[in-house]
Amino acid sequence: MEGWIRQNEGNPQYIDGAPAWRRVGAVRIIGAVNTPAIRLRGVTKRFDRKTAVRDLDLEIPHGSIYGLIGPNGAGKTTTLRIILDIIGPDAGSVDVFGSSNVEAMRQRIGYLPEERGLYQKMTAADHLAFFGQLKGLKRKEALARARAGLDAVGLGDRADDKVETFSKGMAQKAQFLGVILHQPDLLVLDEPFSGLDPLNVELFKRLLQERQRAGATILLSTHLIEDAERLCERVCMIAGATKVLDGRVRDIKAAAGRRDIALSFEGNPTFLDAPDLIEDISAHGTYVEVRMLEGADPQALLRRAVDSGALISRFELIEPSLRQIFIEKATEAGLSHEDESEDDEAAA
Amino acid sequence: MSPFTPRVAAVIRREFVLRVKSKWFLLSTLGLPVLIVGLGGLAGFLAVRSATDAGEERRVIGVADPAGLIGDLLVEELLADSLDAVRAADIEEVSVDEARTRLSDSSYDLLLMIPRSAGRRSAEMPGGTPEAEGAEEATEQESAGDDERTTLLARASVPSVIEGSVRGALQRASVRARLRSIGVQTIDPGALLQRTSFDVINVTESGEARSQDIYRALSFGIAFFFYFILLIYGQMIVRAILEEKQSDIVEIMVSSLRPWELMLGKIVGVGAVGIAQMAVWALVFALAAVYGLTAGASTLAEAGIDLASIPVPWGTLVLMFFFLIFGYLLYAGMFAGAGATISNEHDAQQVMLPITMLIILPFIATQGVIQSPNAGWGVILSLVPFFSPLVMPARLFATSVPVWQWLVSLVLLGVFVLGAAWVAGRIFRVGILMKGQRANLPQVLRWIRHG
Repeated sequence: MEGWIRQNEGNPQYIDGAPAWRRVGAVRIIGAVNTPAIRLRGVTKRFDRKTAVRDLDLEIPHGSIYGLIGPNGAGKTTTLRIILDIIGPDAGSVDVFGSSNVEAMRQRIGYLPEERGLYQKMTAADHLAFFGQLKGLKRKEALARARAGLDAVGLGDRADDKVETFSKGMAQKAQFLGVILHQPDLLVLDEPFSGLDPLNVELFKRLLQERQRAGATILLSTHLIEDAERLCERVCMIAGATKVLDGRVRDIKAAAGRRDIALSFEGNPTFLDAPDLIEDISAHGTYVEVRMLEGADPQALLRRAVDSGALISRFELIEPSLRQIFIEKATEAGLSHEDESEDDEAAA
Repeated sequence: MSPFTPRVAAVIRREFVLRVKSKWFLLSTLGLPVLIVGLGGLAGFLAVRSATDAGEERRVIGVADPAGLIGDLLVEELLADSLDAVRAADIEEVSVDEARTRLSDSSYDLLLMIPRSAGRRSAEMPGGTPEAEGAEEATEQESAGDDERTTLLARASVPSVIEGSVRGALQRASVRARLRSIGVQTIDPGALLQRTSFDVINVTESGEARSQDIYRALSFGIAFFFYFILLIYGQMIVRAILEEKQSDIVEIMVSSLRPWELMLGKIVGVGAVGIAQMAVWALVFALAAVYGLTAGASTLAEAGIDLASIPVPWGTLVLMFFFLIFGYLLYAGMFAGAGATISNEHDAQQVMLPITMLIILPFIATQGVIQSPNAGWGVILSLVPFFSPLVMPARLFATSVPVWQWLVSLVLLGVFVLGAAWVAGRIFRVGILMKGQRANLPQVLRWIRHG
């Protein structure tokens, strides 16, 4: 893909509602592909004596689902807040949609913070419409979308009830609707799945993927690496305020190499005595797990096994999990998993 | 660019609509006129009621005048009293002890005792304030009859109407007694005792004449009203900001608009609620005034008040409104900054206290200023921000304030409003994202310095 991405929203109302510079007939120009949706350069943020984010470079391509992963207190929330211009960095620069003026981009961004509340005394429809108005929608339009959105998640009949009467699960739906009501080009979600019931997790994922198909870029933070692994194309791993690695999940795994082999066989195990190929062996009952030396060819091991006359029932290259890679990298970098807390991070 | 962007307008709208729809608004808006009318009605009812009661329960008064100084005149005056509170009065040549017995066996309700010594000092005829005493207490005093003072003995407490009636009769009787003693019989003592009174009218520079008493009362009313509004709505600001934090919504808000925009929206939204409330009150009182002028004009005229003759000082009212708005913005900014440093109701009381004191002090000062509105310190206080929102409107009503004074006052106040907004904005920007512990003073000062 080169040049411009063109995205047909198929929603004439939205086209009308969009500012002129975002309209080209029925086709919306989202931005040049060669500028990432978000770009951070050397971003550093300190709170008192603690460094929450250290010299962070980040590029988040258009239209991707990007995961910011790391343990609690690694600096994820601070990074998101800096991207959203809620707090300013001590050093470094932030570009969103190619502009350093994030303020001007606010109407194109939807943010779901980890601490997400609602005004208890407002009705659901009124509340969502209010969120829409904050993002530049006209009240009438915002109200119509609020009702449509509530309908779509099965809360249509509760639209005029006060939020205080909602169950936790219903409130979670309403909160999420509030973030996507204005159909943002960039969604920023801080621990979006924490505390959700399983049905809402599925709903959220579905709605996120819908937004992505509509061309939106999605940035989410999570300490649940498995979540990111399932949902994100790209991830950035942070530990102790420092980036450990980032890139495509596929590439990260490939780079980590398929060095682990699950092996089941009958016969003489002498072929496993191969210090030129094998770094480590661990027995797992029905099979052994073999870690190859870096650069060693698994095929060479297989050949030796066959030659030794062993009867091989399983020889499988195991893909390392992101969690394993993360732990390895973090340990290599000498970063502990739980240093520095984000608790009082707003204290400047 | 106007600071009132659509998103600020959305915050204002939310704040306004939600509060105006609330039960609190309904109760407080309707409550005040009801309270005022109710209290006024109650006071009137009680006054009428006690007068009627007094009329119904007329008393029998015995007069003990062993020296025979004014007894006959007193009985005449008591029976002639227009209040008709005295059913019968006796003058009998009874001893003090005898009279007391009659009081205790219910022949008399009241017993007025004229001391013998009263006649010896002609300059001091009985006519001093009669002392009402419970009978039982009086019986304990052995020498009550020789008491130097005129005393009214009663079995039960004496209604003020009857006390007044007796006092009036005693005064007239004693004047007549004196006149009789120098040989004058024909002068009506009522004419001699007629009260003199005068009205104080202030003439303003523009030549407008206004009654000092009415305007002093009004200026106190205005100061009290402003004090009340600033206090109530200032506290509402703190609650509005606390709501942001307590409902965990603030981070969503500040990702959509600048903290100062949120603050502005809150302050203007809450202020708009105040203006709406005052508009309702103004309407109610305007209707009441029109109704009162047509229906109650005669009653008021009897009391010597002619409402139509009081000119409505529109210029002063408009000017006062500016002082109220500026005052509100000044205090609202401070309350907003304070509200941003806390996360719970308990801390709210503590941070509000110093600001509340800044409203109470000027209110106390205002009461002094009204008495001498052109005294030097009154003038100075009316120029000093924090004091001026209460003191200047009070002065505007109590006296004629030179233009330069209210102009300087308003400009100074405006400067302070901007200053407070700037400081509050700095505190707000950092504080609004804080959770848990209340920020301490050094922390807040650091926020102000570094933002």
